[in-house]
Amino acid sequence: MFARIQKTAGLALMTMTCATGVAAQDAPTATPEVLLTISGEVDAPEAALTFDRAALMALPVTTIETSTIWTEGTHTFTGVSLADLMDQLGVEDGTLLATAINDYTVEIPVSDAVAGGPIIAYLMDDAEMPVRDKGPLWIIYPYDSSAAFRSEVVYSRSIWQLDRIEVDR
Amino acid sequence: MSDGGVTDLAMMPHRRKRAGRTMAVVSGLVAFAAILFLTLNVSREIRLLGSASSDNVQWSLSQTEVEFLEFTKRMTMTPVDLGDVRRKFDIFYSRIGTIREARVFADLRADAGFRTELAQIQTFLEDSIPVIDSDDLALRASLPALRDRADAVRPVVRDLSTAGLDLFAVASDVQRRAVARTLTELAIALAILIGTLAVAVLYLNRLIAANTRRADLQAQTVTRMNAIIATSLDGVIVSDAAGRIMTFSPAAEAIFGHFAEDVVGRDLGGVIVPPHLRAAHDAGMERMRNGGPKRVVGQGRVRLEGMRASGEVFPIELSIQSSVTEAGEIFIAFVRDISRRVADEAELMAARDTALANEKLKTEFLATMSHEIRTPLNGLLGNMDLLQDTQLNPQQARFVRNMETSGRLLMRHISDVLDITRYDAGKMSVRAEPMNLSVLLQDIVDSQTSMAAANGTALEWGWNGAPHNWIMSDHDRLQHILMNLVGNAVKFTKAGKITVTVAAEPDGDRIGLTFAVTDTGPGLDADLAARVFDDFVTGNSAYDREVGGTGLGLSIARRFVQALDGDIGVDSAPGRGSTFWVRLPVAVAEPAEIVEVAAPAQAPQRPLHVLVVEDNEINRTVVRDMLEAGGHRVTEAADGQLGVAAAQARRFDLILMDISMPVMDGRTATRAIRKGDGPSAQSPIVALTANAMRDEQDAFMTDGMDGILMKPLSKAALAEVLAAHQGPAPGVAAGVIDRDHAAETREVLGPAGYARLAGRFVQEADDLLVWLQDVADTDLAEVAARSHKIAGSAGVFGATAFRDQLKRIETAAKAGDPATVTAAIADLAAVWDRTRDALI
Repeated sequence: MFARIQKTAGLALMTMTCATGVAAQDAPTATPEVLLTISGEVDAPEAALTFDRAALMALPVTTIETSTIWTEGTHTFTGVSLADLMDQLGVEDGTLLATAINDYTVEIPVSDAVAGGPIIAYLMDDAEMPVRDKGPLWIIYPYDSSAAFRSEVVYSRSIWQLDRIEVDR
Repeated sequence: MSDGGVTDLAMMPHRRKRAGRTMAVVSGLVAFAAILFLTLNVSREIRLLGSASSDNVQWSLSQTEVEFLEFTKRMTMTPVDLGDVRRKFDIFYSRIGTIREARVFADLRADAGFRTELAQIQTFLEDSIPVIDSDDLALRASLPALRDRADAVRPVVRDLSTAGLDLFAVASDVQRRAVARTLTELAIALAILIGTLAVAVLYLNRLIAANTRRADLQAQTVTRMNAIIATSLDGVIVSDAAGRIMTFSPAAEAIFGHFAEDVVGRDLGGVIVPPHLRAAHDAGMERMRNGGPKRVVGQGRVRLEGMRASGEVFPIELSIQSSVTEAGEIFIAFVRDISRRVADEAELMAARDTALANEKLKTEFLATMSHEIRTPLNGLLGNMDLLQDTQLNPQQARFVRNMETSGRLLMRHISDVLDITRYDAGKMSVRAEPMNLSVLLQDIVDSQTSMAAANGTALEWGWNGAPHNWIMSDHDRLQHILMNLVGNAVKFTKAGKITVTVAAEPDGDRIGLTFAVTDTGPGLDADLAARVFDDFVTGNSAYDREVGGTGLGLSIARRFVQALDGDIGVDSAPGRGSTFWVRLPVAVAEPAEIVEVAAPAQAPQRPLHVLVVEDNEINRTVVRDMLEAGGHRVTEAADGQLGVAAAQARRFDLILMDISMPVMDGRTATRAIRKGDGPSAQSPIVALTANAMRDEQDAFMTDGMDGILMKPLSKAALAEVLAAHQGPAPGVAAGVIDRDHAAETREVLGPAGYARLAGRFVQEADDLLVWLQDVADTDLAEVAARSHKIAGSAGVFGATAFRDQLKRIETAAKAGDPATVTAAIADLAAVWDRTRDALI
């Protein structure tokens, strides 16, 4: 399993380096930086599939207060819930392939996207998260609210430095 | 079946069942505890394994090196992409931050080496940040230095990424061993649990099988019991200790008229016990409940009364047993309706009583009638006897003879009927006394010879085989039987021959006697032969008119033979004569001494003073006439009481006592005389009776009588009795004067009269003696007459020796024997001398 994920990450790395790296370098201030790109089988216009920070924050906001196994103490995570995002995209089932900046990819079933479920956090303790500290986007489950969210599987889906999601129905 | 046995049988399965149940519960608890324990254990392990406290730590660590290499690689690329360098730095930085902070790395961070390496990397990162965050120009210029520093820290990053391996290997080893141990424990516990469960299952299986078997047996027993109860002819009622009905069988329904469904659960007493017994029933139940004695239960059959639904009270027979069950003590009653039986018994008893009463009445009637008929008949016969002694012309004599024959025949018929009555009433007894068969047969033949001769028939008897004279048997009965057979043969045989034979066949100490009376008479046809021994059977042929008979003779003979344990029969054919035979088993007797009995009539008879106690005046007169004709003095008494008084007044030589009398009967009078101390207390008393019953005769003797005279009285029989009871001849040894007699005479005459008469008697006697001396040889008739006269006077004064001597002279004189007369006269003087002295 790990072998497969690493391999997928390797392939993604090649394409990403060209696309985003150039854009950032060419116009660092001109256009807002795209934080999340949605791809795959989504019935939506191309423009609606890229989200900068403002676009994400325009979506309904969900806040989770929880501890994590990767941080000290309890923190407040603010972001858009996966459920709201799926509603936005009109996705009701299937699997999401969530990939991080380092091309680490995990599969998240759309069935996880429910109210009280995971969010794509863009603020931790009301502060933006730098890449150096698992930012800018981090999928956070409300671990403290249920033991069901404290499993190896859920921990593996809690991908940080998220930058794109492919919808696979 | 004892109560103890029942209890044991009932308790055994209980005890086993309880033990089994306990074991099953314990096994279950053990299993449950084991399951609980294991569940907790396993769930803990699952929690340990499942609730992941760590991300994939190792992967994260190795990712550290990968991301570090990504970062260093970006620095060496040409042309170098500074943005990419910065991004890879940031990613690496984020990784190290995570390792530094995340809980899952806490164990690793506890290791000093790891902590040092982490610090070195952190130092590198902190040192690098100003360079990375500087503008592109500065960064590009610092890249070689940054690269060198990264190269320097590379081994540290490598060590860090591999450092976790050892620690995690140890930790996972520990965890693996824990899991393995838990799993082993689980396996053992499961094995034990399965084993326990298997044993429990086996045991439960056995228990179930045993229970099923027992239940089957019980069902069979119940079925059988129900079938027995349902088919029992007796009603079966089961009640509990409180007396409530539990079972009411179909037969009980039929007996009591209740339906089982109506009475089950109700109180037994209220349902079947009649009101007057209910208090006793309740008291009995109460007593038993309190452990008191059981009066009806277990006592076998008890007769009580029950009550039907209709309220009818009827007799029942019941038997109750108790038994101890799980529901406590129960009572099982078997009830039988015996009202029919009781009624039958009562009816039978009444019928028997009636029959017995009727039989008694019949016997009494016959006895009374026979007495009432015989009494006047005795009068007739006695008078005819006397009439024959009077002067009669030949025609009158023939009439008297005919009348006497008819009278005696009538008397015999009455006796026959009485005999039958007595036999049928079971009152006939037989005696066993020594007797001589030859004498008996000779007497019978002798008595019938003249009659046979009159018919021109020869009659003879003889032994068939060796003679056996002496036997033990009932002489009178046997005589009656044979006389009847011979008499019949004589009656029916004209100008023929009658042969009587007797054969004796020894059979051990007994003898089988066979009498046969064979005649050459007309014989009997088969029909008559078959019923000739029945009652009232007479031949229907012409000779009936020639021979009279009640038709009872042979039936009486048959009864007598049966009474003697013998058989009687006849072989005959018409025209060929008849043979009547009798077979008797008898005992052998010792020959009795042959006693020559002097003919009473020839014995010298002294005058007796006889008291005749008889209520019938005619009979009394007949007896008086007969006695006085014999020269005896007679005193009469009209009933027993007067008889006793007379016997008390003076001494009699003989008392003739009628049995059946008003005021006091003869037996009572006899006992009174014997018991008293009167002068006649020792006098012979002879019954004068027509009641010939043997038992009664024995009773007369017990009363103190000395003999019996059967009515009708004949002179011969009377003379025999007089001779037998004449008492000892007053002889020399006895003294010359009968003092008692003399005393009586003195008493009767009074002292003066006695002296006068005694003086005259002495004078007369003296005169006689003188006269006798002179006329001794001359006139014997005159001697007899004078002697007789003085002898009578001598009797009055009790001068018995003198009187007897005179009698001898008289007898010899009458016999025309002068020598004896002279000899007797010679002795007379001496006797008179002593008598005279005694008298005066």
